[in-house]
Amino acid sequence: MTLPKGLFYLLSGPAGSTFAQSPVGKLVPMILMQDAALPFTRLDLFDQSLRRSGRLLLDTGTDLKLMMADGVLIAQPLPHPQTLVADMADGPVKQMLADLSPLRRLLPCGSGTFASTAIGFVDDVQKIRCRAASHTLTSTDGRQATLVHLKGLRGYGQALADALEQIKTCGGHLFDMEDLHQLLFPLHPVPQGKPTVALRPDQSAFEAATQIIAGQVPIARQNEPGIIADLDTEFLHDYRIALRKIRSVLSLFKGVYLPDQTANLKTRFSTLMALTGPLRDLDVLLLERAATYDMVPQSLHDGLDAMFALRKTERSAALTKLRRHLSGSRYLKTMADLADVFTTPGVLDAGPKATRPVHDYAATLIWQRFQKARKIAGHLSAETPDAAVHALRIHCKKLRYLMEFSTSLYPQAQLNPAIKTLKRLQDNLGTANDIAVQLLNLQTFLRGADAWSQGAGVQIAQSVGALTLVLHQRKQAARQQTQTLVAGFASPHTQQIFRDLFHPRKPKP
Amino acid sequence: MNIIACYANKGGVGKTAAAVNLSFAFAALGQRVLLCDLDPQGAASFYFRVKPSRKLTEAAFFEDVEKFTKSIKASDYENLDILPANMGFRDFEVLLSQMKAPKSRLKQALKAVASDYDVIMLDCPPNLSTLSENIFRAADAVLVPIIPTTLSQRTFEQLVDFFTANDLSTAKLHGFYSMVQGTKSLHDETMGLMRAAYPANIMGSKIPFASDVERMGVHRAPVLVTAPSSAASKAYQALSEEIALRLAI
Repeated sequence: MTLPKGLFYLLSGPAGSTFAQSPVGKLVPMILMQDAALPFTRLDLFDQSLRRSGRLLLDTGTDLKLMMADGVLIAQPLPHPQTLVADMADGPVKQMLADLSPLRRLLPCGSGTFASTAIGFVDDVQKIRCRAASHTLTSTDGRQATLVHLKGLRGYGQALADALEQIKTCGGHLFDMEDLHQLLFPLHPVPQGKPTVALRPDQSAFEAATQIIAGQVPIARQNEPGIIADLDTEFLHDYRIALRKIRSVLSLFKGVYLPDQTANLKTRFSTLMALTGPLRDLDVLLLERAATYDMVPQSLHDGLDAMFALRKTERSAALTKLRRHLSGSRYLKTMADLADVFTTPGVLDAGPKATRPVHDYAATLIWQRFQKARKIAGHLSAETPDAAVHALRIHCKKLRYLMEFSTSLYPQAQLNPAIKTLKRLQDNLGTANDIAVQLLNLQTFLRGADAWSQGAGVQIAQSVGALTLVLHQRKQAARQQTQTLVAGFASPHTQQIFRDLFHPRKPKP
Repeated sequence: MNIIACYANKGGVGKTAAAVNLSFAFAALGQRVLLCDLDPQGAASFYFRVKPSRKLTEAAFFEDVEKFTKSIKASDYENLDILPANMGFRDFEVLLSQMKAPKSRLKQALKAVASDYDVIMLDCPPNLSTLSENIFRAADAVLVPIIPTTLSQRTFEQLVDFFTANDLSTAKLHGFYSMVQGTKSLHDETMGLMRAAYPANIMGSKIPFASDVERMGVHRAPVLVTAPSSAASKAYQALSEEIALRLAI
């Protein structure tokens, strides 16, 4: 019997120890090695990326063990508790986590003990004919699952076949990561991916807009605890994206609700958004910390140290303020009310365009927005003021949201290249904007010199000066690249793609 | 891939003990090793608790690649597989002698598993026969354990003559002293004389006479496993390193 290398099976409850203690045909089990049970904490990102991708990451206090979707177990020492993948020491586990967001924190999601045993099934002269590695995980509330890895030995195919039969007799089946999670942590909810908006072409614009917004409110809300606990910067980022999407729908889907109601809702969401701005700006600045140091000579690093120390203090203050806001009863009531608006029928009043079919309505909006963006893009030159570039960025952002909301309404094969062209331009405009914001931040910081001009003031000013110079150079480079990208975006080819999708010429009668 | 034959045209000189321990030592270094137990007594297989396959018959054993590869069995140690002794080998020599161009049969058979292994160690039967000659042709190196006595000196000389007479390269011969007893002055004298006579063929490592090696039959495991810090283990380790250096393993 030939079996592929590395077969992993899952046994539930006490079946794992039954297997480890039972003979396999004429072979008897012999414990070759037994590790003491180690306590573990299961780690995952907020969105359960690891579980969704069929991986299990355990922190045993001394090492990080990563079980892959196929049951393969790899480990690397854990000298210090780390919670950001980016901050982990290099090793095989970090390598296999490279796809995770470097900005996301690994959070504890369940705990228990982990015990490994190496078993040999031996014949009458104590010769090992089949090997098994057994890893038993016991959750804190006593649920148990055993992962068994069978290793056949050359020339002893029958022993492997018998061991496999024995596993089946014990109720084992081929390893499946979700089954393992269910066995150990049945009470943890099954993670969902990012919610996708599935609109139907025949839906009314009113219904579609309400559906999109109703889906975004809970996303914003589920990020609140992470912001308050300051787990990582992505909680606030995602919170803001959800609010921004809501605001975009309110402003883009004009005439779907009554104007007064739309204006009122826009104001309420904008106010919520504005409160998060200062912390997000400081997050962006501090995330760029390492890159910032690379921009200026070593001799000016002391000045950056002092500047970042001040920025960190500012961040603490901004966080405290936002925490207070998010935990306040006024905020909680506002969010509950806003959620009700989009989930309770009859609260929203239909505007003049409420009944338009969403397919046609979205196509008109996308085409008009594309034309606006294209007009600016077509006239862009190296001398174009920042404000116009910024306007293009905003148009592109709105266009992108509209297209993403409408993904279920158009053929993917045609929509994806259009989104891709747009995304390339957006990335560049985003970089240019980040630099512009950084420069603005530095100017504001210099204007507020009174607060820090004592002590390390001169050093800080020197560093900020050098940084400003480098950023200006980078901004120039980004703008040059923008020229190339807008040429592609404004090209007849791209226009044809958008036209075919969103504004097809009517056939002549 | 290196084919190393462990050969002695005299029994009881520590040939199988050397083949077993050297195979283990190479495997422990990460080399993928196949130990072929070609000695009909099957001592190497016994040391590794591997039972000879009853299914095998002597006929066309080395001709049938599938049969050859299927009879290989994993040992209890990582990277080390065994081709167990087969009673058919007794008749194998007769068979070989009757076959056309018998000299390359073994080499052909070993080629079939060459990609699976870095080192193929052959534990040879103790006589000069068609099989032995076959082994000498197949091997990249022939390890010869020598008890430092006058008689052993003579048998080594005979082996050198056999190589010369059969147009085999004597550079393949790598002798090492086995079952050495430090208290015997004869051992010292013989070792000195042989090193002077065959400076290129005699290695520096010496395997001492040790009860740990004798007890391998009781434990049924290499001495490197049962008594890793013993003098015998250290000597086998040193010998494996010397061979690795000579053969660039």
